[in-house]
Amino acid sequence: MRLSRSIAAQLALGNGALLAMLILITSGVFYFGTVGVLDRSVDGKIVSISNRLVKTYGNRPVAALAREIGEELTDGIDSDTEIFLVTSPSGQPVVGNLSRWPGAGTPLGQLVNREVIRDGRPSSARLYVRALPQGGLLYIGRDLSEQRSIRDLVLHALESAAALSLVLVVAGAWLLHFQIEQRIGAIRRTASEIEGGNLQRRIDVSGGDEFARLGVDINRMLDRIEQLMSGVRDVSNAIAHDLRTPLGRVRAGLDEALRRHQSALPSASPAQLPANPAQLPASGELTSAARAAIEGIDDLIVVFNKLLQIAEAESGMRTQSFAPVDLTLIGRDMVELYDAAAEEAGVRLTAPPGQLPVWTDGDHDLIAGAVASMIDNAIKYAGPGADVEVSAWSAPQGVCISVRDNGPGVPAAELPRLTERFYRMDRSRNQPGNGLGLAIVSATAALHGGRLQLSDASPGLRASMWLPHAASVPAARPPGQRLGEPQSAGTEDSGAVLA
Amino acid sequence: MRSLIIEDDPATARYVCNGLEEAGHMVTRCDNGLDGLHAAINESWDLIILDRLLPGGVDGLSIVARLRELGKGTPVLILSALTSTDERVRGLRLGGDDYISKPFAFAELMARVEALLRRSTPAHGGTRLQVADLTVDLRTFRVARGSTPIILQPRELRLLTYLMRYEGQVVTRTMLLEAVWDCHFDPQTNVIDVQISRLRSKVDKGFSPPLIHTIRGVGYVLGTRGTTVTADNAATANGSADGGETACV
Repeated sequence: MRLSRSIAAQLALGNGALLAMLILITSGVFYFGTVGVLDRSVDGKIVSISNRLVKTYGNRPVAALAREIGEELTDGIDSDTEIFLVTSPSGQPVVGNLSRWPGAGTPLGQLVNREVIRDGRPSSARLYVRALPQGGLLYIGRDLSEQRSIRDLVLHALESAAALSLVLVVAGAWLLHFQIEQRIGAIRRTASEIEGGNLQRRIDVSGGDEFARLGVDINRMLDRIEQLMSGVRDVSNAIAHDLRTPLGRVRAGLDEALRRHQSALPSASPAQLPANPAQLPASGELTSAARAAIEGIDDLIVVFNKLLQIAEAESGMRTQSFAPVDLTLIGRDMVELYDAAAEEAGVRLTAPPGQLPVWTDGDHDLIAGAVASMIDNAIKYAGPGADVEVSAWSAPQGVCISVRDNGPGVPAAELPRLTERFYRMDRSRNQPGNGLGLAIVSATAALHGGRLQLSDASPGLRASMWLPHAASVPAARPPGQRLGEPQSAGTEDSGAVLA
Repeated sequence: MRSLIIEDDPATARYVCNGLEEAGHMVTRCDNGLDGLHAAINESWDLIILDRLLPGGVDGLSIVARLRELGKGTPVLILSALTSTDERVRGLRLGGDDYISKPFAFAELMARVEALLRRSTPAHGGTRLQVADLTVDLRTFRVARGSTPIILQPRELRLLTYLMRYEGQVVTRTMLLEAVWDCHFDPQTNVIDVQISRLRSKVDKGFSPPLIHTIRGVGYVLGTRGTTVTADNAATANGSADGGETACV
């Protein structure tokens, strides 16, 4: 996942950066609060000693000053860090503990850092140089090595603390990222399961944090959706039952009346029909009206059945009867079912001979029905003189059964609409049909985890149903081969390999 | 012919009972599963027609299953409002002999009942089918009308042999679809009619008498006029030709 796209990573990074900044500021304050204060106190001491010395001994002989300094150096207070030096106007040392000191050019009246030799040892010193009223210079300072070591100690401590904090920040950021990712991941996994048709699935909610509350909200939404879906299913079932059943009764009533009527007639042989002229024309009319009504009801029942079939397939309720089925065989069977109808419509319907078996897992009747719909469509819309070819093959991404015609085809803009329920192209409105054929194919393909692909075969239309590979492929065609069916090409092939 | 109907819906039950009685059956009706189970087990029937979903704690499938457990081979026809393939497969696997989805046409039911009753009588063995001068040799699959050989495609041959096995009896389009093409769905077009008319053009065209007859609104019958019931309600009158409209094409 790209870092810039991950909210979790951004949160963790931002959080880490803030923490690091906080550590930096705290360290700075601490550093200046310790080392800085120490520096300033040293500077203050140096200046105040120099002021006192100059004030007290400025008007007195240099010897008095030298005596005072000698006392300072031996009084045991700060004597291991104190630096004193008085030089004569000619630059000769008068009194002090420096054997080498910065000469002319050292700014007067300013605190500077200089390298000196104090009591015979090199030393980094904080120095304050003043001109004495008696002539000569007064050097006052402190050895900085102690401060240096304190500063080093503080810096070292801060560095270690910073390194440790950084490790903690990084670990914390990762943990935060991981946790957010995990919680969101759980929600996403649940969502994809639900998308896959398992509408009963819910997000596991634990604790009372934002994610838990989000989970509760999503679960509530899912409850509602499920309720609505089952409402839709209930409506479908209501159509199935509450409409089909009374339709069935009407149909039965008409059917029964027709049968009664016919058996009541003394003889229904056409030659004898005119024998009862007063009754028969009316009854003939009634009979044909009843027949028409029955046919109309049958058509309605067919539409209901198809809608129910689509609804069942779309709801993703997989049937228990999924088993390996051979698309090549189904294609050939359906070609043999439709060959006479194609012949009558002036269409050449063929399946290329010698195709290998192509296996998928599915419901034989549903798939055969879908292929029948595809063939029916092709025969209807390709028109007389067209060729329709049914073929099945296996590809790395899945297996496919395809019905291709070389008829007028379908404009690209209309292709996606062909699978809509009740959609009929303008030029096909005068054809018999209910506009459900390809919608069923599409729903059937989706039920099997596949899809219906409609494409321009230039010329004509190619309808391809893509389905997943079978989980396991039967070794040979199941026994009970049908009468007169050619041996499958696969069997021949394996025979050749064995030979 | 003693028939037992186990069906809770009074309208459907009356529809089936009336039709069967007209066809000469002695019909007994049960309106719940429990009574139906008792009747099915304790009495002897030529035919049982039962609804898949029944009140009374015993559903249609368990009646079939119990009947078969007891070794009774009575032909059972299952009626059901559940149309899915699964349901049909379950019904047949548990011992049902045939399965019809509601709503159904009585003619469809009757044709299947006739087929079931014929199936339950001893099968006519032999290696040859003959109706009038039409013969099929079941070993060589040679078809002839008199001495004229007829060339059929494999599927046409299956269609013809099925029709000949049920000679003189109405078979519906759905029955043909299931038996000849192994299709348990409704293709909703006239595919079967076209298949039949192609078969007729090979078997009947130029020969006399015509053998394949269309029964309007129901299905087809293969037979000579003398032996064939050629009425709309052909199926209701097993063997008793009471006349009626013939719609031979």
